[in-house]
Amino acid sequence: MAETPKKRSKQTPEHQQHDLSSSNAITIPATPVALDPTPVRRSSRLYTNPTAATAPPPPPPRFTRRKSLNFTTTTPTPTPTPKTPKKPAPQSQEDAAKQISPISPDRYETRRKRKLDEEKNAGLAKNKDLKGGKKRVYYRKVVYDGGEFSIGDDVYVKRRDNAESDNEDPEVEECVMCFKAGRAVMIECDECLGGFHLKCLKPPLKEVPEGDWICRFCEATKLGKNVELPVPPAGKKRARTAKEKLLSSDLWAAHIESMWKEVDGTYWFRSRWYIIPEETAAGRQPHNLRRELYRTNEFADVEMESIIRHCYVMNPKDFSKAADEGDDIFLCEYEYDVCWHSFKRIAEISNNEEDAEEDESDKDWNSCEITGSDSEDDTDYKKEKINGSQRGPSFGPSFGHSLAANLRKGQFFGLQKIGAKKIPEHTRCHKQTEIGKAKAMLLLACLPKSPPCRNKEMEEITAFIKGAVSDGQCLGKCLYIHGVPGTGKTMTVLAVMRTLKIEVDSGNIKPYCFVEINGLKLASPENIYRVIYEALTGHRVSWKKALHLLNERFSNGTNWEEENNKPCILLIDELDLLVTRNQSVLYNILDWPTKPHSKLIVIGIANTMDLPEKLLPRISSRMGIQRLCFGPYNYQQLQEIISSRLKGIDAFEKPAIEFASRKVAAVSGDARRALEICRRAAELADYRLRKSQSLNDSAGRSLVGVADVEAAIKEMFQAPHIQVMKSCSKLSKIFLAAMVHELYKTGMGETSFEKLAMTVSCLCTSNGEAFPGFDTLFRVGCKLGECRIILCEAGVRHKLQKLQLNFPSDDVTFALKDSKDLPWLAKYL
Amino acid sequence: MDLKNPVEQAVILLRSRLCNPNFIFTLFSDSPDSNYSKLKYIISSSVTESCNNSVLLLGPRGCGKLAVLELVLEDLLREFPDMISVIKLNGLLHSDDNCALKEIARQLCLEHQLAFSKMASSDENSQFLIAMLRECGLAHKTVLFVLDEFDLFAQGKQRLLYSLLDAMQSVTSQAVVIGVSCRLDADQLLEKRVRSRFSHRKLLFLPPSREDLQRLLEHALLLPSGSDLPHEFVANFNSNLLNIFADKKFKDIMDTVFNTDSTFKQVLTFLFSALCHLDLKCGFLSVENFKDALSNIQRQPKLECLKDCSILELYILVCMKRLEVREHETCNFNSIMKEYKSIHDSFQTTDYYARDVCRRAFEHLLQRELISFLDNRGHGHSIEFRPVKLLISWQELYQGLKSYGSCPAILYKLVERETTT
Repeated sequence: MAETPKKRSKQTPEHQQHDLSSSNAITIPATPVALDPTPVRRSSRLYTNPTAATAPPPPPPRFTRRKSLNFTTTTPTPTPTPKTPKKPAPQSQEDAAKQISPISPDRYETRRKRKLDEEKNAGLAKNKDLKGGKKRVYYRKVVYDGGEFSIGDDVYVKRRDNAESDNEDPEVEECVMCFKAGRAVMIECDECLGGFHLKCLKPPLKEVPEGDWICRFCEATKLGKNVELPVPPAGKKRARTAKEKLLSSDLWAAHIESMWKEVDGTYWFRSRWYIIPEETAAGRQPHNLRRELYRTNEFADVEMESIIRHCYVMNPKDFSKAADEGDDIFLCEYEYDVCWHSFKRIAEISNNEEDAEEDESDKDWNSCEITGSDSEDDTDYKKEKINGSQRGPSFGPSFGHSLAANLRKGQFFGLQKIGAKKIPEHTRCHKQTEIGKAKAMLLLACLPKSPPCRNKEMEEITAFIKGAVSDGQCLGKCLYIHGVPGTGKTMTVLAVMRTLKIEVDSGNIKPYCFVEINGLKLASPENIYRVIYEALTGHRVSWKKALHLLNERFSNGTNWEEENNKPCILLIDELDLLVTRNQSVLYNILDWPTKPHSKLIVIGIANTMDLPEKLLPRISSRMGIQRLCFGPYNYQQLQEIISSRLKGIDAFEKPAIEFASRKVAAVSGDARRALEICRRAAELADYRLRKSQSLNDSAGRSLVGVADVEAAIKEMFQAPHIQVMKSCSKLSKIFLAAMVHELYKTGMGETSFEKLAMTVSCLCTSNGEAFPGFDTLFRVGCKLGECRIILCEAGVRHKLQKLQLNFPSDDVTFALKDSKDLPWLAKYL
Repeated sequence: MDLKNPVEQAVILLRSRLCNPNFIFTLFSDSPDSNYSKLKYIISSSVTESCNNSVLLLGPRGCGKLAVLELVLEDLLREFPDMISVIKLNGLLHSDDNCALKEIARQLCLEHQLAFSKMASSDENSQFLIAMLRECGLAHKTVLFVLDEFDLFAQGKQRLLYSLLDAMQSVTSQAVVIGVSCRLDADQLLEKRVRSRFSHRKLLFLPPSREDLQRLLEHALLLPSGSDLPHEFVANFNSNLLNIFADKKFKDIMDTVFNTDSTFKQVLTFLFSALCHLDLKCGFLSVENFKDALSNIQRQPKLECLKDCSILELYILVCMKRLEVREHETCNFNSIMKEYKSIHDSFQTTDYYARDVCRRAFEHLLQRELISFLDNRGHGHSIEFRPVKLLISWQELYQGLKSYGSCPAILYKLVERETTT
């Protein structure tokens, strides 16, 4: 550590204090010392150290899987071989990708004393005690070489050993124009990412402008001119920052998945690599951002030694917020599959899930270590957990082929094959119109964090769950929630569970497990036992076995380890689907909570208000005690729901929202319906605007108005039969008119084909139309029956076929009254 | 091809046009108000804006619902290659939920070159479906579910529709459910909770108007001038055709076709049939061809059945008719035989057949569906005692007898007398 002197040690406390995101703001260089002209960095040790070749063989060889792009050329390097230093001369990207040898973490070196925060992870330290020095010791957080690294951090990793250019590592970027870093404010070109001092610009800028800014060199290149970049003054080489090196594939970026100390005291971490667009099969696409990286599904164990320092890879949301936070931030929106060369979005929710999974994996890890069971299953499991990937281990393609994709043995095989070969351009069109934004916000899928207008219900559910979880002994821990569809029942419960989870994390409530089941997604009601059992234990058994085991757990409270005996909350959506003939499924599920040791809480959701009353008394007495009704939304609430989603988007006229909510509230109070109406109205407005734009007619309103909403409602909820009647063939119209005529004459809704044919022929002859014959008429009738404009019996009945209008006769009258080709019809209607 | 007669070539070209719905419906795809552009807008917006939609295509049979959909899909597959996977289900085949889920899994596997197992349970298949929807959504791939005969999916618990539409409520999925149905009330068949999740885009397909029909005729039948057909022939063919279009007789024929059934399907079958009547020697379409086609298309099956009947069968029909007029609510073979005998006795006809023969004729009539049993009960009884009903009206019978060549005068008289009284 001799070479990383004061500067580092000075920085360390600072780093610790700072939040990760704010630690290196480039505009205000925190450490001017970093510009020390003699950049002798720790990387130089790698080849200055003569002990490398003579060192004892490394700890058990670990798979070093940082392969080059082309995957056939994996070069395992199990033995330490002294490498000839490679020139860091800029190569073409593909060459670079192929030539670089994988980092050899096996390269041995003299150990140094390092400062460790071992107490940081008390839970894991236990393992260490247990295993002594025999096993790897895992850490959450390691202070290594002056930097503090924790799981989930992103770091720069050396790509080549011995690369000379790695020696220099300016923390602060130099100005393109004057080649000095200095304290002055710099601005970054959005095209070439070069930094410019505001004062060095011509003309100089006073402050950083809003929006995109492109330097004049890039501007000129765009126009096709030849540009000469300013040449650095003699003797001074332009120092490249780590970011530049990364983007020209001289460095790697990696995500730390786990860290551990080997038996021999070296520190290792498992990295998940990032990749720059140039290294993918698709190459850099025009709509790639400059600072874009892809997360790969590739992992490797790398020694901590090769870490250079932190970088920050963010999702688009954070990235857009962190616009001026420094040089080492990158955007990562996609995952790149190195086997299949395909892209996939990283799910937005993955953060939460990963956190949750991490917690679990720690626990599992503990238990595994303690029991010391090393069956094959467990090791597999461990491997999977080490990977930490959401999709489990990445199987090689050959392995994936042999297994059916839809046969689930714990997971689906081969799903990693799915992925876009290229990232479609339209996803990067940030110039969304207001209406486009509104449409996105109005999607049913786009759930708000907490459901508006359901505060009272949320409180009630929260109180219920809290009470049930904490006191543990009350009987009948059952809540029945009912309400018409689209009133936010499931959403509210899930929102409550989310807030409770935060409280659990902060330690206010005892931990519990939460199982969510939808009755309509079960193949049969009995399957619910299996699903519950699988959710609780992770094992798949038949439903009879599961019922038996669950009975044992809940009724007798036996056979379960102490630590698993957390309270369990069971949310059953569409509860009415579980009603079987003898109602035993419902009875069982609702009976368990009453058992003293069960610690089971059941929340049932259904549409019908009187479901408990319809059931056997023994069930309704267990279920019907606590109920919560979600009433249909009234128009103010709907209005609030819609406008809360459209906050900050200027796309809807106020009366339009009110109109939509009043219309829906009058019918059903279904929030989904209100949202869909608004979305459809926005679509219609969008369609209208596009049409008027293509006609170069700028007169169209750009807001969604009442007229659009009305059109949407009309289109979505008006039965289309009148239009069909208006446009159907002449003979069908006569047929319908005859039916109405017959109805008036006899007063009976039902008539037979024979009678009707008589009426039709009367109508025809008295009005100078040719009677087409019975068979043709019959066919016409069947066609109308097919559309359900009339209801009719099957065609084999022929003359005896019974006919009936499916719509009120007024509709027919309205549709046919002024038909142009048959003016005489009005007489008979 | 050069060796072939230009007439034959022209006929082949026209026939292939008439059989190709894509060709027919491109005519109507350009206007912004057409169903084509509306549907394309809906689907492409859910591809580009990664949102979920569910659409119903409604309209009478033969109005081009599937044809327009195919056209849109073809265009979109070209426009967004590798980003759309289409899953097609038909209500007639897959109305069973488990079977539909299996089929979806199979098609998804096929689409993405995954191995498919027949053994997977429906539980696994539905989980697979949800996992696939998520993965496809993450990869910016839209999954289109085309449910033909949508009304048949709305039977039972509607588990399939529920799980599809519910999966579409998640952020990551990107799917469009397109229901195709000829039942106008298809969305009313959905259960409340399914309907609430359905996004209620509806497109109505209507039969073409007169103007559209005229355009369609010219679009389909006029030969293109730029093809490898002899130029002179094309000019002659087209001018001849335009003459026919202007002809009063032709217009009457078209009116007759149009009056009964104005759907695309009907018009195209009519044109095809006219084309088949084209005389290869003369080489041009004529009004006569269209007239033949009309008679071809407007079949009167019951009347034709009557033409094929034997004299004895006609006797039986007339007997039944007489019994019906005399308000005998039910008649069976025995009562018919009694009536037959009384006719024979009172009019001294020459045609009197033994009971066995009559019975054979009676069975024959049953098979031709000119008469039928009144109900399905009493399968065990012998035919003689089961009540039967006449399926044709007296007008049809009368007409049939009139057009019957060697109908005994007495029968004719009998029916006439019944109608007058």
